[in-house]
Amino acid sequence: MSALLDLQVTVLASGDGAPLWILAAGPAGALGTYWAIYRYYRNNDKSHAYERDTLIDAKPVQGHEEKVDHISRTRDSDIDGDNSAKYRERVRRLR
Amino acid sequence: MAQDDQHTDAPAAEPRKPVFDGPPLSLEEELAAARAEPEPGPTIETVNESLADGVNRCPKCGSTDVQLRASSGMLVCLFCRHQWQEERVEEELGLGVGIDELEGTVVASGAGEIDEGADDIVTLTCGGCGAEVVVDTAHAMNARCHWCRHTLNVNKRTPNGAVPDAVLPFKLTRDEAVEKIREFAGKRRLFAHPRFRKEFVPENVLGVYLPYLVVDARAEASYSGVGEVQTRRWTEKSGDNTVTYYAADVYRVDRSVSFTVDDLTMEGAADRAQFDSSTTNNIVNTILPFDTKNAVRWNASYLVGFTSEKRDLDVGDLSPKLEDQLLSIGRSQVHGSLDRFDRGVRWEGEQVDVGGSRWVSMYLPVWIYSYYQENTKMLHYIAVNARTGETMGSVPVSQWRLIAAALTVGTFLEGIAGAILVGTA
Repeated sequence: MSALLDLQVTVLASGDGAPLWILAAGPAGALGTYWAIYRYYRNNDKSHAYERDTLIDAKPVQGHEEKVDHISRTRDSDIDGDNSAKYRERVRRLR
Repeated sequence: MAQDDQHTDAPAAEPRKPVFDGPPLSLEEELAAARAEPEPGPTIETVNESLADGVNRCPKCGSTDVQLRASSGMLVCLFCRHQWQEERVEEELGLGVGIDELEGTVVASGAGEIDEGADDIVTLTCGGCGAEVVVDTAHAMNARCHWCRHTLNVNKRTPNGAVPDAVLPFKLTRDEAVEKIREFAGKRRLFAHPRFRKEFVPENVLGVYLPYLVVDARAEASYSGVGEVQTRRWTEKSGDNTVTYYAADVYRVDRSVSFTVDDLTMEGAADRAQFDSSTTNNIVNTILPFDTKNAVRWNASYLVGFTSEKRDLDVGDLSPKLEDQLLSIGRSQVHGSLDRFDRGVRWEGEQVDVGGSRWVSMYLPVWIYSYYQENTKMLHYIAVNARTGETMGSVPVSQWRLIAAALTVGTFLEGIAGAILVGTA
């Protein structure tokens, strides 16, 4: 429900220009409410957080980085396909 | 010819030797070596020799009326009230030490390969009266002799995977579990399915020992990808609007980390190891972890009064899942080293080398309340970790109530949005 309140606050705060997309608040709020309550009851997104709840003893992280390119002008505020925090999303296996 | 024989034997006898250690192998020989079954790794023997199959008597008075007292975690003789317990496997089998020196796959004897054809039905001869008593090891590890009332226990290793290396006794009592389940469902009454609300009887909770494989592992994980660092941010006017633009440096990023994990816990029953939207298996997974350090040596008396589920997944079945989880753990470990890439990192390749792993099978205690929702044909659970009390569940929802609530909120927000538009027009 807090997500809902955030949404409401965002809607109210963006009133100065009052663009037409503000009318999407109704459908978005309805979908958000449905999703939040369904998830609270069914908990179908939950699982054991073994990355955090297991005894892990790690040596210092090794690695290096090398500059390969420069983007001089883009409207994207972040990299495409950022998966650095999606620990369980598997990518190509190197071997 | 003699030389050829020597070549053929070399990879089978010493598969780890580098191929440069003699004349090169032919393609067929290399393929044969690659297809060869891996050598069986070392094992840990966990059979509790102090127990006999069948009648286990109280060490003080000789009664077989023995069961777990959850409040103390000890076995109690119901006849003379003597209490005792099995040793912790952590110290007994040295499971907490040497993870950083593990080599190959070490499998405890109770986690060994399951014989697919093995029967679940075990027949025990009652040591009290000589009667033959049948135990269905798929669900229980004890039975009462119907003639002399002795409790009979399955304590010897069975080839069907029903006897694990260790057992973690129940700690939470039934009443405490009922209270947890009532509280969990109580918070979810408003939108619960009316039929569920009517039929909800938390007293129907069942204590079940579920099979898990508990793994210690040593691994090195490596990742490669692309990261971006923002170098400039500015805005430009475009008609009435302003547009924000960014400039960034692009880096090729490599990271690797060596780590050990202690007591990673994985489902040992195939039915519950699959997580998808058609099941609620994730619920029981969510109540992990258990305090597996406190697991004790196998003694079927811990299971008196509880049901159990036998293991049907082998180490080989779970190895890919172990690699997957180790890759995720490695990712979480390297995440802290990516702070300078403020526009994010996109991993494109990864690999894990499992230097060594040690597998122990355990029965872990869970209180389960289950509810079968007929209209969606889905089995819902509310599960309580019988050691930590962590509770998680799935409550069937009333779609009509949920849609009504969503429409109400939507209409309210739409009203506010409309008022803002009209007010600023």
